[in-house]
Amino acid sequence: MASNTIRPEDLQAHKKVKVWAEAKRQPFLLISSALLLIYGIIFYYIPVFGWVTAFQDYKPAKGFFGSQWVGLAKFQKLFENKTFFLAFRNTLCMGVINLVFHFVTAIAFALILNEVRIVFAKKFVQTISYMPHFLSWIIVTAIVRDILASDGIVNEFLMNVCGNESPIDFFAIKGYFWWIVAFSNVWKETGWNAIIYLAAITAIDPSLYEAADMDGASRLQKVWYITLPSLRPTIMILLLINIGNVLNAGFELQYILGNDVISDVSKILDVFILDWGISQFDFSFGTAAGIFKSLIALILVCLGNWTAKKTGDERLF
Amino acid sequence: MKKSKIAAVALASLMSVSAMAGCTKTPGATTAGSTAPGETSGAAPAQIKEFSAFFAVPATTEINKDNEIQKIIADKIGAKCNETWLAGQEASEAVGVFIASGEYPDFINGGDAMKALYEAGALIAWDDYIDKYPNIKEFFSDYEWSQFRQSDGKIYWMNPFENIYGEDKTTTQNGEAFWIQARVLEWAKYPKIETLDEYFKVLEDYNAANPTTHDGKKNIPYTMLCDDWRYFCIENAPQFLDGYPNDGSCMVNLETKKIMDYNTTPTAKRYFKKLNEEYQKGIIDTGAFTMKYDDYISKLSTGVVLGMCDQWWDFAYTVNDVFKTQDTEKYGYNYIPLGLTIDKGIENQWYTSGGTLNVSSGIAITKNCKDIDGAFKFIDDLLSQEIHDLRFWGVKDVDYKVDDNGLFYRTEEMRKNAADPTYKTKHLCTYSYFPQWSGTSRDGKNAMMPTEQPSEFKDSLPEPVKKVFDAYKVNTYVELLHSVNKAGVWFPMYSYSNNMKTDTAGGTAWTKMGECKHQWLPKVVMAKDFEKTWDEYMKAYAACKPEDFIAEMQQELDRRIKAYDDFVASQKK
Amino acid sequence: MKMKRYHAGDIIFEVFLVLFLVIFVVVTLYPIINTLAISFNDGFDTIVRRIHFIPHQWTLDNYKAVFAKEGYRMGAVNTVVRTVAGTLISLIVNAVLAYVISRKRFLFKKSFSLFWVITMYVNGGLIPTYLVYQKLGLTNNFLVYIIPGAVSAFNMLVIRNYMNGIPDSLEESAQIDGAGYFKIFYSIISPLCKPVYATIALFVAVYHWNSWFDAMLYNKMHDELTVLQYELMKQLQTAMRSAGSVEGLKNSGTTITPTSIRAAATICTMVPILFIYPFLQRYFVTGLTIGGVKE
Repeated sequence: MASNTIRPEDLQAHKKVKVWAEAKRQPFLLISSALLLIYGIIFYYIPVFGWVTAFQDYKPAKGFFGSQWVGLAKFQKLFENKTFFLAFRNTLCMGVINLVFHFVTAIAFALILNEVRIVFAKKFVQTISYMPHFLSWIIVTAIVRDILASDGIVNEFLMNVCGNESPIDFFAIKGYFWWIVAFSNVWKETGWNAIIYLAAITAIDPSLYEAADMDGASRLQKVWYITLPSLRPTIMILLLINIGNVLNAGFELQYILGNDVISDVSKILDVFILDWGISQFDFSFGTAAGIFKSLIALILVCLGNWTAKKTGDERLF
Repeated sequence: MKKSKIAAVALASLMSVSAMAGCTKTPGATTAGSTAPGETSGAAPAQIKEFSAFFAVPATTEINKDNEIQKIIADKIGAKCNETWLAGQEASEAVGVFIASGEYPDFINGGDAMKALYEAGALIAWDDYIDKYPNIKEFFSDYEWSQFRQSDGKIYWMNPFENIYGEDKTTTQNGEAFWIQARVLEWAKYPKIETLDEYFKVLEDYNAANPTTHDGKKNIPYTMLCDDWRYFCIENAPQFLDGYPNDGSCMVNLETKKIMDYNTTPTAKRYFKKLNEEYQKGIIDTGAFTMKYDDYISKLSTGVVLGMCDQWWDFAYTVNDVFKTQDTEKYGYNYIPLGLTIDKGIENQWYTSGGTLNVSSGIAITKNCKDIDGAFKFIDDLLSQEIHDLRFWGVKDVDYKVDDNGLFYRTEEMRKNAADPTYKTKHLCTYSYFPQWSGTSRDGKNAMMPTEQPSEFKDSLPEPVKKVFDAYKVNTYVELLHSVNKAGVWFPMYSYSNNMKTDTAGGTAWTKMGECKHQWLPKVVMAKDFEKTWDEYMKAYAACKPEDFIAEMQQELDRRIKAYDDFVASQKK
Repeated sequence: MKMKRYHAGDIIFEVFLVLFLVIFVVVTLYPIINTLAISFNDGFDTIVRRIHFIPHQWTLDNYKAVFAKEGYRMGAVNTVVRTVAGTLISLIVNAVLAYVISRKRFLFKKSFSLFWVITMYVNGGLIPTYLVYQKLGLTNNFLVYIIPGAVSAFNMLVIRNYMNGIPDSLEESAQIDGAGYFKIFYSIISPLCKPVYATIALFVAVYHWNSWFDAMLYNKMHDELTVLQYELMKQLQTAMRSAGSVEGLKNSGTTITPTSIRAAATICTMVPILFIYPFLQRYFVTGLTIGGVKE
């Protein structure tokens, strides 16, 4: 029982000394973090005081201090609206589907591209792969609508090859919408999303592959047993970050592709907030919805982080 | 080496950053001598006042800094205005930021959010100024001006549009109608079409006899646009079919002065039942409910659509241009408006003459404006005939010519220029959201706007449309409708409902009714069992509490009628 | 035997790879080529027929319409300046932040991480943010493009994650040699982080290149502070509006439509930024130095 000989006060004093000694060793870290702290407070945290407007009937003319306090009335207005839950469900579902597709396709693409041995081909394909990222959603959706139109390429294929009798109106069928959104996202962003993984692959120690070659591993085995596990920390970090973004499932895409026939599945939270908040000059309503979204995001991120801690993976904080 | 190069670039860009930051500190307003280099005209006034303006609507044209006509106007009146338009943002957001920050431009048009500007005390009251500026004063009658009064009894803005000087020169039905292609009318030997039933009968018969276009594409006898806010194309026809004008959100009974809901009338049910029948028959476009605006324009432009219900401005400019440039107007694809009603013998009000005064928004001067009299003078000057001609016709002999009778006309070249984006930005300056006249010029001969000049109108009509006009013995699109103008002093009611927000019970009901109609109208039209679906729709509609909306509209109607009576009474004294 | 199995598997793998890449390239290139074709096609012609790979009625009018406005010159200058300056500053600040947070012995490691993670998910909204910037004098100011967005938690986390993969032994041995934290950052960690720096530089540069929201929000009344994408954005809205207005006068002979002008504008803004990546790509060399240093 060595602890008998050390009194708590001593321990504390010892800790203090240690902290002080450590602090003296890291002036660069402390000074730069202090500056960044001030920066973060000014640009990220002070504006969050705007959240008080969610509990007011905020009028820009009256400001934060002159507007009338209404307690939770705006949240009530939010949760009493039936459309809100519909929009929430749609956003969440599309967010989750997009998240899964985003990861699977980006990682798969990075792994495949990494296997290309011809440098020119690799660079060529990669350069092409991220080009759609620069197209606006309006353009991408126009092309998607072209392809899926009643006389578009997909319907022509279905009628001529698969023997369908009449064209399918893809945008009139509720079951298809989320998948059309997911597909559009994959099409536009896969190459772009893969860049981060390609950068991470460069950090893998080449000696690992050399050792695997010695053992006679096939290329598929090397991908599976070396490349993929090496990407795990990167995948985890990005997954944790993006879990918090599932409620930001896009805006333009659903707004442009959705229509009245399938509005049950196409309406998303941001459109709802626009219709019932901002367009109504009700900024408080928009803020209340924003707070709701932020809270959900933070809860999801904390859950994810906690799980990562349990599994011993890379964490956000 | 490389590193120092990067550092140099960084430093250079940083320096230019700070240099620019410095630039912005100089106030933008009233910078004298900021006229473009190359300006040598000695006659220019020593100082040209510069105003700033923000319009909470997207621009129709954005002009260059060294725009030629803007400069000519500036030299003549000693003032110019730099216009900024809404882009990529909601009007309410843009206005909200202006209010919160307290930084206003000199002129502002807040669109839907005008009221918020007034409530924030951001605007200058006009009452003491109107009499000083004859062109402004002349723009509205005393009663019209009185309609702009806000809750404190003062005037804060004026609507710049749809005001007719002298004789009405309107030729096109800019508003809503059931449209039908000229080729259908020609085939049917120009029959008299007065009711919805007759209309669909003609479409069906024509399609049975001529199922394709000139290039073999299958006709779509009838389509309807339901994309977002453009769903008025399907939604508001019942008011017209009952013989009421476009109050937009309701009908007003002329005798009882009561607000009526056009969504639940027997006529509404008959109209949607008709659409449902035609849909089941395959007459209505099956893709109608999922198409977007540009799909719709594409469909119309190929000439396959025989008829639809829409407002002229929503389709005609693009579609007619396509027919012209693709040389397909000779096949009779252009659209002719019909003033239909649900039964025979009802007088229709599809066209409402005399301009429509929308008092809910307009141009205002803010409290940040340093030279209020200068701002009013600017508006006043823009309304003088000389400047008005410069704004809309352009420079004489460059943009238009004058014939021996003093009539303005344009050559094909000039018309082409007037629509060329490059030419528009560098040469033309219409100040398009400042007050402007339509109707007849002060010279008594010409139209205020080139589009309304009779010669310009006739020259542009395609042959099949001319034949339609001859067959029905009319000279304009408007005459085809046979509309009777009965609009009351309260017209149009939409100038109130457009600005309703969810902060009132009526506004909440209004928003919910909109959502409900969006959701149900497609179902109603496509339903296998119309009666059952209609009943379900009516139930869902009733749950939105339309009575709250009606009640608020009734209040506004009563207020408008009383305001008019008060005005008349005050005139008598 | 062993060799044979090795080869058979790899050949299938190789065939699959080539097949996949060909399909991928076709599918990905289609929207680009389609946009390119539309940008060179007569606007009205595009309305009445579907354009796929090749323009049907060639024209340069769409490009002429894009450059009709003079605002582009100013916008292009501002965009280039903000892209260059913004990327450099952002990269430096995010790298320092990531470095600080990734140090095992940094006293506030956990709380400071949390501090930044939260910023990804909360924001005060449009008006409060505007008011803060206004108080700081950042409205109607070029610096609003550079300063507020300089630190991004996302970029920081990506760099931190990469730095975490660098063995601690490097830092420890440098410390034994008497190097301070700044020295370690500058001369040991940063050279190893080239691939991730290149990635973040790309992200930030593209972000700056494509940004228009800040120009619209904070500098809209100052034409001299405009940026390229905002000019384009305005041009598109104008095309859209005038397609349905009296000024888009009937029977005019010009055939610009929102679709055609949008296609031309997209090509115009896409081409310059595409050149950034090949430039950065050379930093993506597999197993650059870490493997070597480790031994």
